[in-house]
Amino acid sequence: MRREVPLVITFVIGVLLIASYFLQGPILGGEYTWKTLSSDITNWGVLVSAFAVGIAAVNLTRIHGNKITNQRPGFINSIALIGTMVIFIAVGVFNKHFGTAGTRALFQNMFDYILSPLGAAMFAIIAFYVASASYRAFRARSAEATMLLIAAIIMMMASAPIGALIWSKFPVIGKWLLDVVNMAGQRGIRLGVAIGGFAASMRILLGIDRGHLGSE
Amino acid sequence: MNWLDKLQQIDRRVIYTLLLVVLLIPMFRPLGIPLEVNMTTQKVYDLVQALDPARDVALFVMDYSPGGSPDVHPQALIVAEHLAQRGVRTIMVSFVDAGPMFAEQVLDHVSKKYDIVYGTDFVNLGYLAGMETAIKNFAEAPHTAFERDFRNNPVASMPIMAGITHITDIAFIIDFQTGDPGYNAFLKQVQGPYGVTYAAGIVTVSVPNAMPFVQSGQISGLLQGLRGAAEYEVLVGSPGAGAAKMDAQSLGHLLIIGFIIVGNVAYFLNKKKAV
Repeated sequence: MRREVPLVITFVIGVLLIASYFLQGPILGGEYTWKTLSSDITNWGVLVSAFAVGIAAVNLTRIHGNKITNQRPGFINSIALIGTMVIFIAVGVFNKHFGTAGTRALFQNMFDYILSPLGAAMFAIIAFYVASASYRAFRARSAEATMLLIAAIIMMMASAPIGALIWSKFPVIGKWLLDVVNMAGQRGIRLGVAIGGFAASMRILLGIDRGHLGSE
Repeated sequence: MNWLDKLQQIDRRVIYTLLLVVLLIPMFRPLGIPLEVNMTTQKVYDLVQALDPARDVALFVMDYSPGGSPDVHPQALIVAEHLAQRGVRTIMVSFVDAGPMFAEQVLDHVSKKYDIVYGTDFVNLGYLAGMETAIKNFAEAPHTAFERDFRNNPVASMPIMAGITHITDIAFIIDFQTGDPGYNAFLKQVQGPYGVTYAAGIVTVSVPNAMPFVQSGQISGLLQGLRGAAEYEVLVGSPGAGAAKMDAQSLGHLLIIGFIIVGNVAYFLNKKKAV
């Protein structure tokens, strides 16, 4: 039953949502329409997703709580994670329900001056890794590597304003690479993914693929 | 180790230091390298210009995370500025948890420059969990998807929400994103089924993936990373965060290319010497 019930729910919900995409008007002549049905199902989906966020927070606390209790290597990072999570949740919930201008400013400032700059810093660090990695990896050791190297240089020059100053054709060739060469490859991949996605969806709906239900 | 070997194995700390120096110089002394506006950016600008402030409402989707914000946030700032400048009513919504706080930053930026009334000209609805499902849910009933906005005001009584009962009541969607949910979800759940005009602002690395949808016309306009923001700033005539960083990007790219050339020249000379 633990596997059959989720399979039936998946099948019924999936079929109803597919039907609501193609059908309009009332269901079986009643007041309940296909549009309302679709809307209700997606409402449930939003509720389930909101609960999933809560479960993720509980899971995170459990995993890192164990790490702190057993003082495993890196447990200091776990303390920082749990601490900031608790503070953010506490300020966020308080602000949402009993918020004043002060608590709103506190919550926004925590985001503006802690989370946002930290995220931006992580993004910026990538530039340094990319610089070092491209210097080491882009060697014209074979015909394929040479093509990749030339394409990379052209795209870098095409996307930076200085490229057009150095040679006016850099943006033109860059656009051609993006619009023709890249497009041909992307379209092929997209079509393949779409067909694969459809096949995978049908397998899940029909209960052939049961990976999402976890192990027995 | 001879000098050719050394040139092929430059210490990464040297590369990091030089890159840092090269990125910092234009921050203090801008070079003012002229910027050519890409057609996809021009299309976003034209779409905003074509909106009728008396009738049209724009949907401003804030779906980016702090990690990708350096590329996308400047885009959101300048497009919001353009919408405010034109007096187009703008509904901000997020399907990524960090979105509402970025929306507040955008509102703060815009309200310093333009006289906007919250709830009438702009609103920050907040975050709706559920990724693609949430997008579909919002598209089918934007007026009931949120009971209260991010600032805890009741949504139903807001003048900006009057007459908005379906996504087709929205004239234009601009979606700033760094990943999932992104244009894929919007094309499947909104643009495809309802044909609403849809434009996106994305990180540079995602541009090749999005191009097929731009060519097919499903994405009507595309802002391509930080450069997209800088180009839009040029169009609006308000240089900001994007334009200031483009010089740094130019010099950074030149330095990386310089290192690649040095590495390859040393590699070939070494190979020739060995033969």
